[in-house]
Amino acid sequence: MSLKEQFILNFVEDDRWKYLTNGLLNTLTITVFALLLGVVIGIVVAMIRTTYDKTKDSLKKRNKIGYSFFFIVNSICKIYLTVIRGTPVVVQLLIAYFIIFAFSNDGIMVASIAFGINSGAYVAEILRGGIMSIDVGQFEASNSLGFNYVQTMIYVIIPQVIKTVLPTLLNEMIALIKETSIAGYVGIVDLTKGGDIIRGRTFSAFMPLLAVAAIYLVIVSFLTFVLGRVERRLRKSER
Amino acid sequence: MSDNVIIKTENLCKFYGEKIHALENVNVEIKKGEVVVVIGPSGSGKSTFLRSLNMIEPATSGKVIFDGVDIMSAKVNINLHRQRMGMVFQHFNLFPHMTILRNMTIAPMKLLKQSKAEAETKAMELLKRVGLDDRAGAYPSQLSGGQKQRVAIVRALCMNPDVMLFDEPTSALDPEMVGEVLSVMKQLAEEGMTMVVVTHEMGFAKEVSNRILFMDEGKILEDGSPEQIFNNPQNERTKDFLRKVL
Ligand SMILES: Nc1ncnc2c1ncn2[C@@H]1O[C@H](COP(=O)(O)OP(=O)(O)OP(=O)(O)O)[C@@H](O)[C@H]1O
Ligand SMILES: [Mg+2]
Repeated sequence: MSLKEQFILNFVEDDRWKYLTNGLLNTLTITVFALLLGVVIGIVVAMIRTTYDKTKDSLKKRNKIGYSFFFIVNSICKIYLTVIRGTPVVVQLLIAYFIIFAFSNDGIMVASIAFGINSGAYVAEILRGGIMSIDVGQFEASNSLGFNYVQTMIYVIIPQVIKTVLPTLLNEMIALIKETSIAGYVGIVDLTKGGDIIRGRTFSAFMPLLAVAAIYLVIVSFLTFVLGRVERRLRKSER
Repeated sequence: MSDNVIIKTENLCKFYGEKIHALENVNVEIKKGEVVVVIGPSGSGKSTFLRSLNMIEPATSGKVIFDGVDIMSAKVNINLHRQRMGMVFQHFNLFPHMTILRNMTIAPMKLLKQSKAEAETKAMELLKRVGLDDRAGAYPSQLSGGQKQRVAIVRALCMNPDVMLFDEPTSALDPEMVGEVLSVMKQLAEEGMTMVVVTHEMGFAKEVSNRILFMDEGKILEDGSPEQIFNNPQNERTKDFLRKVL
């Protein structure tokens, strides 16, 4: 079969290209929602963990009940991080789909939530690393002017953290897009699954699978390009 | 307690962990307008003492009475009191993501609710006094060490503090920049600012301070005027220390 015939068979006949475009749409939907959820979870968990680390000693003395409550919340965050980072994301997705959200058959939503919860753990650790990397002198100077902990975070720490972690967060996003390719495990037709369905119909693997790979590559290359620009701008503003 | 005492510590103790006793029953009264220099060997607790005054490093027990209020008490909102105590650090600790002007105006605007114009006018005035008004739009990384430290001093002054605390403000500077920072501090002292200064600059101590505290092993071993301390030290350890540094 000539390349042209292969192309027509795999993509044109029966509008098979739609498997790829619809799949891509699902891949992007899951990625975007997962990323949003991941960032929200990440910020909350990172704030809890670092605030706990930085204030536990004084809180222990001043407010026993508040301290106990905080201790429990912090422990829950630690367990979350350990479990999520200690198990494969495929397993998490399967558990989410077949156990936790067994009542729902909206695969896209379940996958978005599962990937979001997964990515939240990584984002949390990226942010925590960013906050911990800020010199304690910054906290001290801010406190010495009279800013409380929250104000210090908002005006002094977070703007600096964003600068240091933005490249790492973009990398996390790139990883996430590729990770969503396992969504087919729970019956979602994402980009990967779409290509695989075409292969199953046409009994020709070459074109559909290379097309899938090419699409991922284009998206990731674009994001890598953006990442490079961001890094360059950040380096410039350092000077 | 007499009216013009601004800071008083009572039996101030500080432990780091179980073993390190960084402050041992420190009792000091600092009066308004006094320029107090704290000297002593490395590890004697000078920084710990200074940092306990605004509770950047809270003491373990005892009292810090600032303008009549025990700020160690759990009921006190320490942030309100810190607004009235400026602090200058060895490593400047300017905010690197803000311009010099923004470094100086953010606290008065957010905490004292000053308008932008009001805060900027005051900041520019102070910058002019330390000869840096032309650098208002620069970022800290674009300044020399001496310039950064002068900015750090005026940043603290923007809050109109009643007391200024200095922890070795010239120790991280190249020798040729020490003078410009000390002269700003001297000017401040002459204007009547209450200052507590941890420093190894004995010249500054002799010339500018009214009072010197000698610390060793977490205790204030000697407390007197510069003439007393430098010309007629009583404690053996003070003598020993001065012999080494002078
Ligand atoms: N964060 C800390 N954790 C544990 N020990 C500390 C800490 N900070 C200070 N110490 C200890 O407390 C004691 C007093 O230290 P401090 O920094 O107050 O001394 P210093 O007089 O300022 O010394 P230097 O002249 O070197 O700055 C020292 O034994 C020091 O090792
Ligand atoms: Mg020190």
